[in-house]
Amino acid sequence: MRYVLRLVLPRVLLAIITLVVVSATIFWAVELLPGDAATRLLGQGATAERVTAMREVLKLDQPPLQRYVGWLSGFVRGDWGESLVSALPSSIASAGGRQSRPVADLVLPRLSNTMILAAAALILYVPLSLILGLVTAIYRDRKLVSWLSALVLVGTAIPEFVIGIVLLLVFSVTLQWFPPLSLIDDAQSFTQLLSMLVLPAVTLTLAMTAYAVRMMQTSVMAVMESDYVRLATLKGLSRRRVIWRHVLPNAIGPALRVTVLNLAWLIGGVVLVEVIFSFPGLGRQLIDSIKLLDTPVIEAIAMILAAVYIIANLGADLIAGFLNPRLRTG
Amino acid sequence: MRRSWETIRDLPAPYLLATAVLAIHLLVALTGPLWAPFDPVKLSAGPPFTSPSPDHLFGTDNFGRDVFSRVVHGERVVLLLAFSASGLAVLVGASLGVILAYLRNWVDESAMRVVDLLLTIPPLILSLLLLSALGSGYVIMISTVAFFFALRVLTVIRAAALNVVTEDFVTAARLRGESAWSVARREVLPNVMSTVLVEFSLRTGYAVLFIGGLSFLGFGAAPPTPEWGLMISEARPYVTNAPWIVLAPSLALASLVVSLSLFTEAISEALGLGSSRVRDV
Repeated sequence: MRYVLRLVLPRVLLAIITLVVVSATIFWAVELLPGDAATRLLGQGATAERVTAMREVLKLDQPPLQRYVGWLSGFVRGDWGESLVSALPSSIASAGGRQSRPVADLVLPRLSNTMILAAAALILYVPLSLILGLVTAIYRDRKLVSWLSALVLVGTAIPEFVIGIVLLLVFSVTLQWFPPLSLIDDAQSFTQLLSMLVLPAVTLTLAMTAYAVRMMQTSVMAVMESDYVRLATLKGLSRRRVIWRHVLPNAIGPALRVTVLNLAWLIGGVVLVEVIFSFPGLGRQLIDSIKLLDTPVIEAIAMILAAVYIIANLGADLIAGFLNPRLRTG
Repeated sequence: MRRSWETIRDLPAPYLLATAVLAIHLLVALTGPLWAPFDPVKLSAGPPFTSPSPDHLFGTDNFGRDVFSRVVHGERVVLLLAFSASGLAVLVGASLGVILAYLRNWVDESAMRVVDLLLTIPPLILSLLLLSALGSGYVIMISTVAFFFALRVLTVIRAAALNVVTEDFVTAARLRGESAWSVARREVLPNVMSTVLVEFSLRTGYAVLFIGGLSFLGFGAAPPTPEWGLMISEARPYVTNAPWIVLAPSLALASLVVSLSLFTEAISEALGLGSSRVRDV
């Protein structure tokens, strides 16, 4: 129990500190965007008095540190503020009684879309990378497998937006199997939803799998050359038994760590892939909101994505820690 | 050096092929603008949306610009940006890594705490925010990318240097009364040089990807620059009727990154550093 605490506690603490640092960086970067919320809401032609009034309403007259603390505590409590852009123009007219759309109403449906996409990608990814990783490591002397490994190596290097573009060209432009735009909000049925998910999910899966297979290969090969596997083989155990009882259990830990690291990678990958397929998820919303300078939405999405990234890294770190026997007893 | 050359020569065919492709990319970057048939930003070099033909090898885009000339001119932009970012990252990261490994005191300890913390910041999200806040000039973009990459270079070089600073010849140099600067430069640095080289090659590939991604999202190079990521994103709306506009820069980008990555594997194996590292951007 003590080693668990000693392993987990400092890392969780570091993750929390990182989150605070990242939140400050996000807040600061958003502050640096041209103009402020008041001028953005009222537009170019607004008089100085109205801007001043609006700044008071939005509490922009307070010092930055006070606003940061206010924003962060609001964010933690689930009060993410209101979108500057999706407010109705008529309701902005009176600075006092604005009616605009809460950020959460805008962001949460996007979050669920992105989670559906990520889940679909992971469902394809886990069996694919496990099987390919094992097969290419165990039968690495076969000609076909060495070509497969070369293909995997090439796959790790191809940018995800190029994979996406090529899939788009082949499957929705040439073959017309899938729609070129994944507007899943308009999906009428489950099959329609599925056909819109396929290309973006496969793009993410391919990018993740190539990398995972490569890491799996290395760890399986290391296990296969270990003394206990050699002993098991010398004892006369069948190849199947050696692989299932000795190789697989020992290679699964590193594979798990790679999967969690892939989750962190997914944060960046999802932004690019959503833009390629016009998929209405968090990533594309982030890009759109940055271009529209919709600061409350930018802050909320950046915080969510950063939190997932940090938690995934924490998870990978903890798995690595538990797998390392020196850390366990030392 | 001779041994390394022999090892490179005996490498499997994919590595040699990759090195050849990389050499072509470098050659195009160096000489491309001399022989590219058209001005990359010249409008109406031909009718818009011309499909590939002897006149326009990769066709023309929506403004009638020659896609082949744009790809050829873009090579220089893409490589220059990537080399600047990875060069800066390796310069800063490797120097700091060697210095910290040499110090091995409270400065090193506390600096590494800060580095650990900065490493868990998501690079793409923060880069997007910083670039839109600070403006997306090349200097700002290169510095932002270099910052995130330098952190990763630092940890790798520091780890490599830690193995060296405990060696007897370093202790001997120290006891001879040589200055810290001279020990770091003459004893430690030469022994981590191969790691530094591999890092430079590796980060250049990542930088091509990362900067291409930023440009693709509209936060990198500005139109009408023939940067490949930007070209891909500008051509995206015409993918159904004029696929060559998007295909040409995509293939150029993919072949550059793949050949860089295989080349990194090759030199890493030739220098005896092993392969297969954690993808960390």
